[in-house]
Amino acid sequence: MTKEASLLDKYASEAFAGLVSPVLDDLNISLAPDDDLTKEDALVRMTAELKRALEKPASERRWVMVIDLRKCVGCTSCTVACIAENKLPPGVVYRPVTIEEIGTYPNVSMKFLPRPCFQCDNPPCTEVCPVTATYKNEEGIVVIDYDKCIGCRSCLNACPYGARTFDYGMTYTQATPDGFDFILGQSKADDYELMANSEYGENRVRKGHVSPVGNARKCHFCLHRIKDGMLPACTSTCIGRATYFGDANDSTSMVAELINKPNAIRLKEELGTEPRVYYIV
Amino acid sequence: MTEPTSKKQEISRRDFLKISGVTGATAALLGNMHEVFAKTQNTLAASGEGSYFQASPESIIYGECLQCNTQCTVKGKIQDGVLVKVDGNPYSPNNMMTPLAYDTPLKESALVDGKLCPKGQAMVQTQYDPYRIVKVLKRTGKRGENKWQVIPFDQAINEIVNGGKLFADAGEDRVVPGFKDVLATKDAKVISGLSADAAAVTGGKMKLDEFKTKHAAELDLLIDPEHPDLGVRNNQFVFQAGRIEPGRNNFAQRFTLNSFGSKNWYDHTTICEQSHHIGYTYATAQYSGGKWATGPNHMKPDTINSEFVIFWGTSPFEANFGPTIMSEAVTKAVVEHGLKYAVVDPRMSKTAAKGWWVPVQQGGDLPLALALIRWIFENQRYDTKFLSSANKAAALAAGEKSWTNATWLVKLDDKGHAGTFLHGSDLKLVEKKDETSADGKTVTTTWVTPDGVVFKIDPFVALTAGSPVLVDPADDKNSVTGDLLVKTAVQGINVESSLQLLLDEASAQSMEDWAKLAGVDLSTITRLADEYTSHGKKAGVEFYRGAVQHTNGYYTAQALVALNILIGNIDWKGGLSKGGGGWNAIGNADKPFDLGADHPGKLGAFGIKVTREGDTYQKTTLFTDYPAKRPFYPYTSNVYQEIIPAAYAQYPYPVKILWLHMGTPGLAAPAGTEQIKMLQDTDKFPLFIADDIVIAETSMYADYLFPDLTFVERWAFTSAPPPEPIKNIRVRQPMTAPVPEIVKVDGEEMPISMEAIMIAIGKALNLPGIGKGGFDKHGDLNRPEDYYLRGVANIAFGDKKDAADAVKDADDAEMEIFRKARAHLPKAVFDEQKWVAIVGESLWRKVVYVLNRGGRFDSPANSYSGAFQAHPFASLMNIFVEPIGSGINSITGKPFSGVPHYEPAQNSTGVPVNNKDYPFSVVTYKEVVGCQTRTISNYWTQGGTGIVPTNHVLINPVDAKPLGLKDGDVVKLTSSTNPNGTFDLGNGHVETVKGQVKMTQTARPGSVMVSFHFGHWAYGARDVVINGQTVKGDPRRNVGVCSNPVLLLDEGTKTTCLTDPIGGSASFYDSKVKLVKL
Repeated sequence: MTKEASLLDKYASEAFAGLVSPVLDDLNISLAPDDDLTKEDALVRMTAELKRALEKPASERRWVMVIDLRKCVGCTSCTVACIAENKLPPGVVYRPVTIEEIGTYPNVSMKFLPRPCFQCDNPPCTEVCPVTATYKNEEGIVVIDYDKCIGCRSCLNACPYGARTFDYGMTYTQATPDGFDFILGQSKADDYELMANSEYGENRVRKGHVSPVGNARKCHFCLHRIKDGMLPACTSTCIGRATYFGDANDSTSMVAELINKPNAIRLKEELGTEPRVYYIV
Repeated sequence: MTEPTSKKQEISRRDFLKISGVTGATAALLGNMHEVFAKTQNTLAASGEGSYFQASPESIIYGECLQCNTQCTVKGKIQDGVLVKVDGNPYSPNNMMTPLAYDTPLKESALVDGKLCPKGQAMVQTQYDPYRIVKVLKRTGKRGENKWQVIPFDQAINEIVNGGKLFADAGEDRVVPGFKDVLATKDAKVISGLSADAAAVTGGKMKLDEFKTKHAAELDLLIDPEHPDLGVRNNQFVFQAGRIEPGRNNFAQRFTLNSFGSKNWYDHTTICEQSHHIGYTYATAQYSGGKWATGPNHMKPDTINSEFVIFWGTSPFEANFGPTIMSEAVTKAVVEHGLKYAVVDPRMSKTAAKGWWVPVQQGGDLPLALALIRWIFENQRYDTKFLSSANKAAALAAGEKSWTNATWLVKLDDKGHAGTFLHGSDLKLVEKKDETSADGKTVTTTWVTPDGVVFKIDPFVALTAGSPVLVDPADDKNSVTGDLLVKTAVQGINVESSLQLLLDEASAQSMEDWAKLAGVDLSTITRLADEYTSHGKKAGVEFYRGAVQHTNGYYTAQALVALNILIGNIDWKGGLSKGGGGWNAIGNADKPFDLGADHPGKLGAFGIKVTREGDTYQKTTLFTDYPAKRPFYPYTSNVYQEIIPAAYAQYPYPVKILWLHMGTPGLAAPAGTEQIKMLQDTDKFPLFIADDIVIAETSMYADYLFPDLTFVERWAFTSAPPPEPIKNIRVRQPMTAPVPEIVKVDGEEMPISMEAIMIAIGKALNLPGIGKGGFDKHGDLNRPEDYYLRGVANIAFGDKKDAADAVKDADDAEMEIFRKARAHLPKAVFDEQKWVAIVGESLWRKVVYVLNRGGRFDSPANSYSGAFQAHPFASLMNIFVEPIGSGINSITGKPFSGVPHYEPAQNSTGVPVNNKDYPFSVVTYKEVVGCQTRTISNYWTQGGTGIVPTNHVLINPVDAKPLGLKDGDVVKLTSSTNPNGTFDLGNGHVETVKGQVKMTQTARPGSVMVSFHFGHWAYGARDVVINGQTVKGDPRRNVGVCSNPVLLLDEGTKTTCLTDPIGGSASFYDSKVKLVKL
């Protein structure tokens, strides 16, 4: 890693560490009364674990994501939550869900596979970047510096998981009618996709050819949510409760429990990429 | 809308580095990074410097989704006045398996986003659809020509109220009737007098001539003096709602039934799953005072605690009630508790993909259910102890909460038809006694045995060890356990027990023949029945529209409810649950507000509805002989597909004004495109108004189209859906500024909406129950909040008269959050002074407490009580349904059956459906991202750019290959009642029902699967001209195919689709088609 990248990396994680919301200081989620049937919700547990992790130095956290494929219902809630959270344009998807039909009638089934960025510990995507715009930060998240990215798309090709997409500057409402006072029209309708987005704790507006338009884009585990004690959007919204997130260095965390089981696997392990996303099968 | 700021205010990281005076990342910078971020993020953080705006409760308003009818509780995130993201409400069991405690502070709950399905999240794009209409449109061309002009709201109200030559400019010389012309009377006394005497006429207590003499001065108020039971002419106003929900439907009913006095209020349930509801509502009917009163219309397996569940014709991962609530209960139970489940469906849904798929043949549901029942009888796998309990006392003694009529004896008539129950009086075991009270005012009737045992009802009869025993179902002292399978004569009366009648029907075919009709292997049926009955009470059958949108839908529903009853799973943890229920929002005399009864001058509409629902043909003055001109639907309501065809046929009477509210029967009903032709007839529909959020497939034919509010912008309150064992009630409230124009209604500013139109009409005609003094005890009804906020106050107050059940007051900090979170709302929507005045100071902070949490949610600890549901049904469940068993089909003149009876798909005439030469069953279904017609605007998920950009004609390769079809081929769908596979939109536009072929192994051979959500011809898919300017349609919305236009028309009525004569459901699943390669 270059000196600059490493410095930026440090800056980013320190910045996030310093940005822990004051709200978190007295976070004390009041649990619903517990009995045989009403255990702590996974989201509540993970939120508490997140708070605990944020109290540690950034370098001591190890963010991992676990996706229990037995519980995935192929709904794409995560895909949409991510689009809304990060105000992603058409063509940019951080967390697709592949749906594959298998077998022959009547012995037929479907496989659902949500695919976030795997935040590899040996990421093939970063080393191909000619301008070191993408790198692994101190918390182990592969980030993109939009201001440095020149949009060459080398990283898109380098990623063996297809986790990166390119921002062509489109919007979902483009080419819809505008300029009438009797219908809402495009320019009043498109605020939700054109307002400042919060990726990397920044405050960017997609417009014209200004970054992130023209950049590679990818999942960052919602670093901007994590810093304030909120779980990644895909994790919160999962209706099958298949996605889990947390600090694997915390031996009591839910993710630590889940990944150390024989049915936890990682995709394309043979490539040596050391993904930080685990699937339970 | 408020003007967004941060959209214009670009601050990149580079910029803020400049702002802070630093050109590079240096160690010096790190120290004050927090401050830098805090400054630059001001536009993101509504408050609380340094925090992400989504983490601040001031950026959050809790509301309710209505992308589908599950109506999930949601957490709306507001960024600079714009709703940018929607998550689940963490206080609600809808969005959390175990929700946060209700008193969790707002700043803590802000950090927890609950789960929510993708369709719900895409509500942002329903809200900010560029095609949302803002102002009132009046047509300037022919109906459906899509030429409009904008007119002021006041002018529109004036025109629809007063009528006149309203379309002279469009070349129509006719005089259009207004609301004032249809309002025959607003005198409540006159209406109640006519109503009572019309009932006396139909009840045979008054001659028609006597009626005419007595009401000579009022005969002109009636639709037809020869048929006073049709009601007053007010009934010629019809309110037809597509999308409407509790809270809002209470408001609309208040207007339609009791302010305007029309009986013709409808929602759309029969195109959803009405026969499911009717199946339950009669299975749960209770007997008292000599009558059956229907019960809850929805029960569900308690999946999370269950061991085996059959999902029948439904996919909880994609639809049902709904994916957000039900998915985790399944996945968690499967992975953590070992739940097994089967899915009965011709289509392999996503739910089926993860379970045991039983690919039933279309229309094979009832045969399969009866085969399972037969197997259960033959193998004695039913719960004898549960079924033997004939009354409450027996249930209690058996350790049960509920009991059944399985043992009660039913009389057989001379043709062997089981119509009515045997009563004690039939056997002369009791004698009826009338006692008049001392003041002579009330007569109390009892039935007394020779031994002096007194019954409040004429008791039912069961056999115990062969001897007749009298049964009062509600008796909790004297236990009666009866013999289960009885077929005998008692005192010369041929009788059978209810359970025996069920066995008879299940035995109508051999197992092999049932298997053939079901299209399921006998071995599979046996395995399924064995598995289902191997888990004691921890099993259940859940079914929804796939099982019941058939002409035999009610019987199918009844058979599937019977499968639950047979294993005695009612009220058990892991068994069948009626849900946790909720608090009462509408109110009553013991609550702060009584929004129903408090209606000065309440008109109390009466008369036969234009759909003939809720009335029995034989008991009307229209009865002459069979067949009736069009079917009567005595057991059901909201027969949506029949409203427009009935009005078109002018049977039983003509309609003058049709108000279509957020509905699109032309697209959503089977063969609904036939209705498009009808709506163009200005004689049959003299005034047609609509309110909608866009110009949609059916509202485009309206004379006047009013913009409506989305569910994001308005109010309602809805009780908890049945899958939730936790007691709760939800509140919908405005989350964003309204898109529709803000207008003044009698001086009150409000956005145009259904409510605003009703209030404006009410005030123009001085209708009772609207405006000043609209409530007798509670003040005025001048604006929507006058109604809805008082409902919220009722919720906050609780259900105890002494307010012992009230919520806390919002503290000062919560009050401040409440205000800041609503800073973006215009005064026409949020006006604190007005809101306080509406509910009163004493309740105001409690109301805020509820609004700050989006409803009221009980602790999950109150969900179960030992081995039972904490909110049990604890009442009688019916195997034999007497009201239906004693009823007669108005067309065929044949009796209905009180137990599920197999009959193949048939027309209203009783003639089996003709699918000859049409080989493929059409299986329509919902993707998780779509609702029937209103999600095409969601570009994230549909609309050509989304996750499911379009749909296809899905077919198994074994069917496609012989036809030479391959992926991408375009085929036309044709059927026996639409042999051309086309539909006529009028004005020269004829469209073809065509779609792209895609082969899939998930289709049962012999079927083609077509999802809803596509095949739009409006809703932004088509050019429209407004004020002479062309608004271009978006080609992304004009994709895919809707198969509804080729679903079969009923050969009896010729204008309505096939319909279940009992449940009223529109048949979506009895039609076959041919594929014609184009």
